[in-house]
Order: sequence, then C-alpha cells, then structure tokens
Amino acid sequence: MATFEATELDILNPEQQALLWSPRVKMFVQGPPGSGKTTLAVERLRYLLRQGMPTTAILVLLPQRLLATPYYQALRDPTLGPAGAVDILTFDGLARRVIRLFWPLIGERAGFAHPTRPPVFLTVETAQYFMDHIVAPLIERERYFEGITIERSRLLSQLLDNLNKAALTGIPLSEVAERLKSAWTGEAAHRRVFDQVGECVQRFRSYCLAHNLLDFSLQIHTFVQHLYPQPAVQAYLFERYRHLIVDNLEEETPIMHDLLSEWVRHCESAFIVYDESGGHRIFLGADPHSAVRLSDTCAYRWEFSRPLVASPDVLHLAYQIGLSLNRDSAHILHWLDETAAPDFRRILHAPGDQECRFHPQMLDWVAEQIECLIRREGVSPGEIVVLAPFVDDALRFSLLERLVARAIPARSHRPSRALWDEPAARCMLTLTQLAHPHWQMQPPKFDVILALMQAVAGLDLVRAWLLTEVVYRPHQTPWLSSFRNVQGDTRERITPSVGERYEVLREWLLNYQHTCPAGEEMVDHFLGRLFGEVLSHHGYGFHHYVAIPPAAPGTSHALDNARVAAQLIESARKFRQALEMVPGLSDALPPGVRFIQMVQRRLLAATYLPDERDTSKKAVLLAPAYSFLMTNRFVDYQFWLDVSSMGWWERIYQPLTHPYVLRREWEVGRPWNDEDEFNTRQEALYRLVVGLAYRCRRGIYIGISDLNEQGYEQRGPLLRAIQSALRRVR
Amino acid sequence: MTFIPRLRQLEVVEDYLANGGKMAISAVPGSGKTHTLSYLAAQLVVNKITEDQEVLIVTLVNAAVDNFRLRIASFIKEMNLLPGMGYRVRTLHGLAHDIVRQRPGLAGLSEDFVIVDEGEAARILEDTVQDWCYANPDFSEYYLTREDMSAKSRRWVLREKWPELMRDIARAFIKRAKDWRVTVEQLQGYLAAASVDLPLARMGAEVYADYQHRLAARGGVDFDDLIRLAHHILTIDPDFLARLRRQWPYILEDEAQDSSRSQEDILRLLADHPEGGWVRVGDPNQSIYYTFTNASPQYLRNFMREPGVRCWELPHSGRSQPSIIRLANALIEWTQRAHPVAALRDALTPPLIEPSPPGDPQPNPPDAPAQVYLVSYAYTPEQELQAVVKSVRHWMAQAEAHPGATVAVLVPSNRRGAQMADALRQAGIKTVELLDNPPATRSAAEILGHVLRHLSKPTEGLHLKKVFEDWQSTRADTFIPLEHGRAISAWLERLRYIEGYLWPIDGNTGEGSLPSEVQSDARTASLLAGFRERVRRWQAAAILPVDQLMLMVANDLFTEPADLALAHKLAVELRTLQMLNFDWRLEELARELEAIARNERRFMGFSETAYEPRPGEVTVATMHRAKGLEWDRVYLTSVNHYDFPSAQPEDTYIAEPWYIRDRLNLQAEALEQLRVLCEGRPSAYMEGAATQQARLDYAAERLRLFYVGITRARRELIITWNTGSDDQRPKGQALPFAALMRWWENQDK
Repeated sequence: MATFEATELDILNPEQQALLWSPRVKMFVQGPPGSGKTTLAVERLRYLLRQGMPTTAILVLLPQRLLATPYYQALRDPTLGPAGAVDILTFDGLARRVIRLFWPLIGERAGFAHPTRPPVFLTVETAQYFMDHIVAPLIERERYFEGITIERSRLLSQLLDNLNKAALTGIPLSEVAERLKSAWTGEAAHRRVFDQVGECVQRFRSYCLAHNLLDFSLQIHTFVQHLYPQPAVQAYLFERYRHLIVDNLEEETPIMHDLLSEWVRHCESAFIVYDESGGHRIFLGADPHSAVRLSDTCAYRWEFSRPLVASPDVLHLAYQIGLSLNRDSAHILHWLDETAAPDFRRILHAPGDQECRFHPQMLDWVAEQIECLIRREGVSPGEIVVLAPFVDDALRFSLLERLVARAIPARSHRPSRALWDEPAARCMLTLTQLAHPHWQMQPPKFDVILALMQAVAGLDLVRAWLLTEVVYRPHQTPWLSSFRNVQGDTRERITPSVGERYEVLREWLLNYQHTCPAGEEMVDHFLGRLFGEVLSHHGYGFHHYVAIPPAAPGTSHALDNARVAAQLIESARKFRQALEMVPGLSDALPPGVRFIQMVQRRLLAATYLPDERDTSKKAVLLAPAYSFLMTNRFVDYQFWLDVSSMGWWERIYQPLTHPYVLRREWEVGRPWNDEDEFNTRQEALYRLVVGLAYRCRRGIYIGISDLNEQGYEQRGPLLRAIQSALRRVR
Repeated sequence: MTFIPRLRQLEVVEDYLANGGKMAISAVPGSGKTHTLSYLAAQLVVNKITEDQEVLIVTLVNAAVDNFRLRIASFIKEMNLLPGMGYRVRTLHGLAHDIVRQRPGLAGLSEDFVIVDEGEAARILEDTVQDWCYANPDFSEYYLTREDMSAKSRRWVLREKWPELMRDIARAFIKRAKDWRVTVEQLQGYLAAASVDLPLARMGAEVYADYQHRLAARGGVDFDDLIRLAHHILTIDPDFLARLRRQWPYILEDEAQDSSRSQEDILRLLADHPEGGWVRVGDPNQSIYYTFTNASPQYLRNFMREPGVRCWELPHSGRSQPSIIRLANALIEWTQRAHPVAALRDALTPPLIEPSPPGDPQPNPPDAPAQVYLVSYAYTPEQELQAVVKSVRHWMAQAEAHPGATVAVLVPSNRRGAQMADALRQAGIKTVELLDNPPATRSAAEILGHVLRHLSKPTEGLHLKKVFEDWQSTRADTFIPLEHGRAISAWLERLRYIEGYLWPIDGNTGEGSLPSEVQSDARTASLLAGFRERVRRWQAAAILPVDQLMLMVANDLFTEPADLALAHKLAVELRTLQMLNFDWRLEELARELEAIARNERRFMGFSETAYEPRPGEVTVATMHRAKGLEWDRVYLTSVNHYDFPSAQPEDTYIAEPWYIRDRLNLQAEALEQLRVLCEGRPSAYMEGAATQQARLDYAAERLRLFYVGITRARRELIITWNTGSDDQRPKGQALPFAALMRWWENQDK
C-alpha cells in the first residue's frame, strides 16, 4: 500500500492527481477537518461523471443528509450532464430501499407475521407511539420504572435508543439488559429496572414483527442480518453500485464498517473519507476506531496533516484546552510547531471587566459583538455562528430577537420542534377538533379564539374573542353557530366582512362533517383539504404574510405556515398508515383522536431539514454545538454561549440506556465506573473543542454569565479549562 | 477596602496553612469571620491546591455567596493572580445540584431532570394533602375535640384553618424525613411493624408517598430531594466520591451553627478522610434556623469535641461600640445565670464578646452609653410603627450629624416588616426591604401577570388599564403630567369598544372621548400611540408558546438586567408549568404569576445579590435576614413575649392553635412520631412531650434571635416593644428584654 502526504488540495502531486482521476482506484483519505478531504471526494464524483460512468452505478454514502450539500451542488453542474440519478444515501436510507425491494424474499424469514403485506416504516414519532402503547399499561398497572424520575417522552426515546444501539452494533437484543445491569454500579435494587428495559424492548420488537412495523432498529437489523447475507442482495448491491464514495466514515457504526469492508472488495472504485478528529455521533453508535479498519481494504491511503482552514491561534486554544483537560493534544502540537509562536489570546474574546451576571446580559453582549463584527469589520453574517450545548426555544427566541432588532439576518438550526409549539399546527388541529364533534374533543375556548384569529384574515384578538364568545357553543350541535344569527352591536364590532369570512370557514367545516361519514375520516386528508380549499385562499390566514409582530422571530409567516401545514399533513399520514397495520387499534379510538393526543403530548415533531438552496446562509446561525459540527461548515467566527454551563460536558441519554456500555467493544460484565464516566466526558468535550477549532478561521468569542437561566451559578469544565489555559500562558 | 487581619485571625490562618486537617472556629458577632474565612480561602487557593482542584466554601444562604466570591476574588487579585479560579462558593442546595448534575443516572434521573420550584412543590403538596383529607375525613376528630368549640366554629376551623395546618405538618414531616434520608418504603415498613398507632406519622408517610409519586411523574425533584440524592450518589459510588475529594481538598463551612444533618453528612463524606481539610466556622449563639429548617447548633458543638479537631475562638469584635457589646454580654450572662427556666440557660453560651485590643486594625466605635435606648413604654403596634417612623425621620433629617451612617429597622416577621416598610414609605422615607420575597421579584411577576391577564380576556378595560399603568411606569423617558396618566387610566377602564381603540377599522380610535387637554398634549398622544402599538404586538403574539410570548413582552417592558433575567426564568417556568398542566392556557398562567407576585413563597429570584447598606435610606429587615449584616443605627422592634416567649405560663405560641385539643403543637408531635419510628421505639412516644420541648426550643431560638438583633448595631441601638394585635390578649415586654432593662438601669446607678 502506498501512502501519500498531501498538504494542499491544489498542489496534489501529479501521481496523486493521476490516482484521483483513475477509474479503478480504492483510496482511504484521512485528515483533520478542513484539510480538503470532502473537496477531493466531490472532485472524485465529478470525475466519475465526467468519465461517463452510469449515474446509477455511483453511490455516495453519508452518515446524515445534512452532509449531502456539496455533493448535490456538484450534481447541479450543467457541464456534467444529467447527473440527477446518483444516489446519495444514509445507511438507514439504503436499508429501507433494499428492504422494499427484497421484501418478498425475506419478509417471512425475518420473522414478520404478514410477509405478504407491505412493510410500514415507522418514524421516530410513530415508533414512540407504539412503544408508549406497550409500556403505558406496564407503568400504570405494574409500576414499572418506579424510582426513575423521567418524563414519559424521554423514557420512550431511551427505550428505543437501546433497540437502535443493539441493531447498529450487532448486539443481540437479549443482551441489552444484561450489559446495562452488569455495568451498573449504583444501588443493587435498581437492576430490576434494566430487566424491565429488556422486557419492554423485546415486547416492542415482537409487536413490530407481528404487525409488519419497521422502526429504525428493525430496518437496520433486517437489512444487516437477513438481507445483506443473501447472495441475491449482494449481487444486486455490488453489481449496481460499482463506485462508492463514503464521507465521514468515522461517524458510522461498526455494522456499517463490517458491511463496507466486504463491499469495497467487490466494487470497482472506492473513495473513503475519514475525519481524524470526528466520531461525535457516539450517542448514535459512531465508532471511529472501527472505521480505521477500512483503510486495509484500500490500495492507497492518503494522510493530510495540515488543516487549511483553522488559524494557528485557534488551534492553539484547542491545544491548551486539551492540556487543561489532560488530553493528548500532540497531534495539534505537531502542526503548531511549524508556525511562528501561535497565541490563542489573539483570537479569544470574552466579556471584559463589565461582568455578565445574568443570562440576558450575556446575550446582549453577544449581539453587540456580532453587530460590531458585521458593521465595523465587514464580516458577512453567514461567517458567524453562535453555538450552545442546547438551543431551546427561549434561547432561540431571545437571541434572534436581539439580532433582528439590530437588523442582522439570523436563523437557527433546529433539528426538530414539537408540532404543538407551532401556532399554525395548533390552529389546524383546533379546526380539526371542531370538524369532528363526535370525537368529543372539545377545544378550550381560548384555543378556538386563537385558531379563528389565525385562520381568518383581519381578525384581531379582541374581535376573535368577541366572535368566539357568541358563536362557540360546545354544548350544542353544531359547536359553531352562524354569524348570520349575530345581530346588533356585536355584529358591528366584529364587522360583517370578517363575519362573512368566518361564515365561509364554518360552512366548509359543516359540509365536511356532512360529507365524510363517521369512522372513515382520515386526518391527513382533512388537513390537506382544509389548507388547500380554505386556509391558503385569499381572505384566510395562510394566504399571505399576516402582519404579526414583525420584529418577532418565530412568529408566523405564510411560507412557514405552508411548511408547517405540509409537515403536519405528512406526519398525520404516516401515523395513520402505521396505525392501519394494527388491526383493532383504530376501533377503540379513531386514529385522528390518537394523532391529536400525540401532538398535544408533544410526541410529534416538525423536522427541519435545511434546503441546500437555502439562501439564508447569509445569516448568522444559532445552533447546538454538535449539530454545527455535523454540518461540516467552516466559518470565520464562532460564539460559544454559556461556557460555564455543565451542558458542554454532560452525557445525555440516562438513566435507561448507555452509549458506551452498548458499544461492540465493551467488555460485558465490566462495571462502568466513575473513571470511565469522567474520562469519556473529558474526551467528548475535548473532541468537541477540537472539532470546533478546526472549523474556525478567525476568532472565538466566549459568552459567560455568572448565573444560568435558572438562577444557578455554574462553573463547568469548559470554563475551567479555558481559565487554566489563560493562567498557563500568562 | 484592604483587609488587615488582627493577630488572632492571622494565627488561625497560619495554623491552618501549616497543619490543615479539621478545625472549628467559634466566632462572636462582628469578629470578622467572613473576612477571615475568605482570606484563608484565598491563601489556600494560591498556596495549597493544584490547577484542577478547588477550595469549596459552603454558606447558608444565597445572599452570602456573592459576598464570599467578591472577597476571595479581591484577595486573589491583591496577590496578582487571576480571580475566578480555584474556588467554588455554594449553598448546600447549590453544592447538591453540582453533585447530582455530574451523575444524574445514579440517582435514577435523566440528565435534564427538573428541579421543582417551591411554588410548584407547594401546589403538589396542597393537592396531595387535600386528597388525603378527603379520603380520611375522620382524622380531624382526634385532634379537634375541644369541648368548648361550637359546631359553627368547628366548621369554620375545618374550612379555613385545618387544611393549612395539615399542609404545614406534612411539609415539615417530609422535609425532616428527607433530611434523615428515610425513604417512603422504609417508613411504611416502620409503620407496619409498629405496635402502637402513630396517626400523625401515618398521615405523614401516606402524604409523603403520594407526593413523591406525583413528583416523579413530572420528571422532577424538589430542593430537599436534591440534597438527599446528592448524599445517595456519594455513598453508592466510592470512585465518584474519591474524585470529588481530590477536586475539593479543602472545605470551608460558614455559619456551621445552622448546619443540618444532611449538610453535616454530605460535608463529612467529602472532607472527613485522612487527606481532607474541613474548617467549620460558626457561633452557636447565632443559631436561629432550628424552627424553620432542620438546622441545629448541636452538630457544630459535637464537631468541636471530636478528636483531631483543633478549636479556635475569635472573641474580639470591632463592630459595636463597647456599651452595645456589654449589653449583648449581659444577655448571655443573664441567660446563663438567671433565666427562670433552667433548661434554657444554655441557650446562649460563652465566649463573651471582647472589644478589639488597643492598636487593633479593626477598632470599635467609641463608647457611647447614651446611644443605647431601651424603651419601656407599652406601645400598641400602630403606636410603635409611628414612634419608629418619627424617630427615623428625625434622625435622617440630621444627616450632617452622622455623615455616611446607615440605619435599619429590624422586625420579627415578614408581615410586620411589610407594615413597617409601608409606614416609612408613607412618611416619604426611602426604604429598602430585606424580606422573604424581594420586591423586584414581586413586581416583575405582577407586571407580566397583568399582560397575560389582559391577553386572556382582551375585552376587559380594567385589565388594559393595569397594563397601561405598568407600561407607563417603565417609560421613564416619556414624562406626561400625572393627571393625564390618571385620565387615560380611567378612560381605558371604562372603554367599551377596546377593539376600536386597538384595531380601528376606519381610523377612529375613540380617543376623542378623552379630556381635551389630554388629547391636545403631543407627548401624551405619542405615549398612547406607542402603547397601542405595543399591545397590538403582544396580542398578535398570543398565538406563540408562552415562553416566547413572555420574553417578547419582557423585552418590551424591562431594561434592568435583573428584571430581564427574572422574566427569562419566569418564562421558562411557565412553559414547564404548561407542559405539566396540559389544560392550562393564559388565564391559568396569569393566575400563577399573580400568585408569585402576591404570596410570600420563595421564588428562586435574581435579586439576592450582595446587599450593601447605604446612607440616606432605611433598611427594613427581618431579624433572620439581618444576620451577617450591620448598621450604625438599629431599631429592634416588637420585642414582646409573643414574638420572644420564654417558656413562661403567660406565653402563647404560634404553633399551638387554640382549636387543637390540649393546644398540642401538631407539627412538633408529628416530627416526634417520625423520630421514635425511625429509632425503632414507637411505644416511647408520649403525646404532649414534643409540644413542651418545642416551646423550649422556640424560646431558646428567639433568645438567640434577640442576641443577633442587638449585635447588628455599631453605634446606636433602640429597642421597643408593643402589646400585640387588638384581637388578642395584650402582650407584655419580653422577659429577656425586661431583664436587660433592669441590668442597664443598675449600670446607670
């Protein structure tokens, strides 16, 4: 195997260039972020297309869809011809595709009770629904999980996480409880909780098999254990996808690495990218150590050691923080030695003597600094990112409002947000309840007021209140009475024109009731019609921009409303389809009722997948730090919010699962002790800091407030590490 | 201000730097213990710990945290080092929070566990107790059997008094059980095995079980759980404990006389090992939290007797002028020698306070016996208020006679404090309150509550009027004549067509019906237009989740960082509440804010910053809140035998309601039942004994509170008393006060 050292993308030596542009070559490319690996991978894709390789023969595999942007951009290059058919997939996307294709072959063998019926792929939300269906009676009647203090949705997601981890690492499901139990060092009586975990995940799996439901874990399990070993499937995959491009291999799971090891041997060409400082998705089973195995399957291994983006001063900060955290930072030092006296104090900015005692003061300081960078130094807003360990709605709102007030374009990265928190979704669901009185879900009066206010253009809160007061009669049939019966002073106050619009909406709802027989309603159909036939029309709230607080981010906008409506409809459709697979479930309670209950319990989320054509890249981005890392973006300036927060150091997903104990290499039977806990947290924080530093060109601003949002003083490890670093270089 | 330690303070610090280990410091009031402890902390930070270690300072109340942080930071700066590193100042709750946050899984918690605020905890408890009372209607029979009570009185008591009493009993019971780390299951086991019926403990255990169940369903823990769980985690994971021991090699505990069993146990786990350093500083004479919490000076006293503990005294105090010191010492001596109840003679113990020696860097103010006024006159409560107001006004008018001097009026209760503050303000005197709920918390919650109330019922003129008044009060930059503001308020309150004003269809806002002088004033018109624009914005935002709505409103209304921070916290709290109470809408949330604004419960506010007395204003504080503070002139009020009983036959006690059989103190009886159960001796319970003991404990604590009050004064001290409220028997002068008067008069002779 030949090893090449490349320092800059555009000065690949002729031999390397020749290799990059060879049709049959298998390369393993590793290096720090920003050293040009993905650029090379994209170049490789372009080369394959230029060479006239059939687009269907190329597969780009990525750990998540967010990373697909540069590949899609390349595919849009008109000089490459019609390249749209190149598959850019994630592992589970690939699994779903193959399952659909080969279902008749394996449905029965994989243990599904109805192999002749099509499979139903569950979303995270519908999986939670069915898990809740299984565990709720156990919690209520058998007092399962007593002694655990956790919100229901978190409990469900942790149970599902156990299933997913087992599938991604290839651990038998029956081993999950045993692993968790044997690693537990707390009170012995607590171990029964892990038995309950084991029982719940087994029950869930049986339920899914009995009803042809495939949650994420069963998709992976079915694909890996039942499909991939089939010669027919391998023949299909190996013959169809002869050219593989795999980016961010370190974020993938060992199962995927196993599979790829074999695949690479059979394909004509492979270009595999491995990020040395990655492995951030450890909570999703990422295993960077296992990923390195793939290098043995490739004829060539290129190592890029020099980051092209990050400034030496920024890397010096990462190096110093590494020292504070007692981590091995030698790989950074190796590179820093080549430059002249890097000093992180030149790029690290913190609030000066003016102490930020309170959280909002920190946000003010951040907004001021951003304004200063943009106005005085001419930095593009898209070159600034604000990062926090978590971004909740209150933080998002507070910061974005400050930026909007300064006329700075800003956006936030939200992987998901409960549909119930979307005003447009609440409006549509309230109208759904009104249209289905036989469901006996009378919305509270205030919900009706807000729904009418949003649905009918020109209806303000006061008039909506007055209108609801006179027309909403939940104890009569129909619940909504006609505006035509409203007379005198009240009629004039509401105004006849608004009343007429209300009347049209009401009649539409009544007409729906009359034409749709009870028991045959499909909420997704209803919502689609409501949006298409009424709300999106002139005179109704989703038609065009309604002048709701202009300076308030998060408030409705017509496009946003349409997007939320689409998500709500999609969510309702998937939910209905999943429920239809379980005989008898719909008899007890209409699917529409179950759906609304799920939304109200905040178990259904609107997902926000950024569009690669998104023009808002010119805006300041607020994102959770890990999410930002996974977008693989590079910026001039980063703001780290709340560096004193423990959130930068916390291990999520407790107490019913364990990301490390459920890893493949974990020695079963070994207790997880405090040293393990401490070291993994230190390591995770260090990797995060290094990952961020590699993605920063010019400067890091740290936001500090003495008291967090709750009024607690915090002094988390990140702040302490920075303070130690400062003290060291004084 | 640079701190120059006196000789004894230096000796203590040097001894500790040289020898480490365990040390107890008994410090009289004003002996500079906070300074000494901060100085010691700074020395340890600089000389004794490594980069990844911290000196842990544990204080009693939030208000002291800032004091310590600022002082330590200033000492470290004086040593030319970077402050902010190497030390951590925490209350016990803060420390427990730090510990649990590191390993929540070990306590069965998710990493985003919720700490249920005192208000929510109170509400859960209220619901739990109410359900329990419904299920056990006969329970009251056993304790409400006073023969002289009419059926009508009885019904009234059952409706108005009994539920509250039961809540108080349950709260104290659960708090104590958690302090002793007795679980629900253990308690149920003890009760099942008990040979005698202990009804109060049975009630307590049942409510405790239900309360915990309700908390867990919310994914939350209360403040007491936090401490219990911190201890639990430390005991089940020795590696974690070892790591924390390495991280905090020195623990300095302030106000150790008010340590609780939990605090003692947690700190002992962390510090009581061969390499551990533990310094406990306190003054048993200032232990004043026994009644409200699980604190006891006994923990410190026991510690002082442990082998290997080096004990030091800091007897010198430069705070008060010698006459005040003599008075405080006289109280100790009278208690020791002449208190009529022998069991109370140890309520105050030596050492006596010694004035600072000649040449001391922290000298006392000059002796001025004439500046000590012990007022024997039997004021009514109202007369006492007026007398104090008159005296304060007179004193403040002569500011040039005492430049830079500070003054405080100390009261025994929040209620009396609110009356006193109102009376002072009405007299035009600038007044600062140091009561349970700081005014800032109340007012921010109140203002936001008004807005939510308006949004939940936007057709009510009264609500809109309140919002306008709040809005106007926050517009310091827009001055309009007072009568214009009043006219607008009145107009809004009567406004029939609110939609016409806020959202006019034809451009007619209806403002034509305002008085003409209001309409013609440009500034007033502009203010009104600005107000309309804001309200429209808030109304349009009513569709948003409540946290975002609140943040928007707060950003429009407040400018002070503390108000904004508080609003942020309130916003997050309301969102949590809405998630816990799914059917709540703005109306219920407005009610919640109003409750925070109105009642006396503690809301983790942001106003507990370091308090500094300032000249030109008078501070009204409860004697409890005054601890650790000092003023040049101090009024000590309401020193009668109701607020300061001495276990005498004529004394009455707040914890012994008239309607309870044999005037039992049911809270004390419940705690006693818990104690005998936990000790495995249920048959040792004797009804009434705990009530008697509680009297003694309370009397002892109030005696110490009196001592704390006296020792707040630097130069001038005025002590008054009143005869109590009209509907009760007239109260007499407190016994220790009378004794001091006699002693003082004898001194004069």
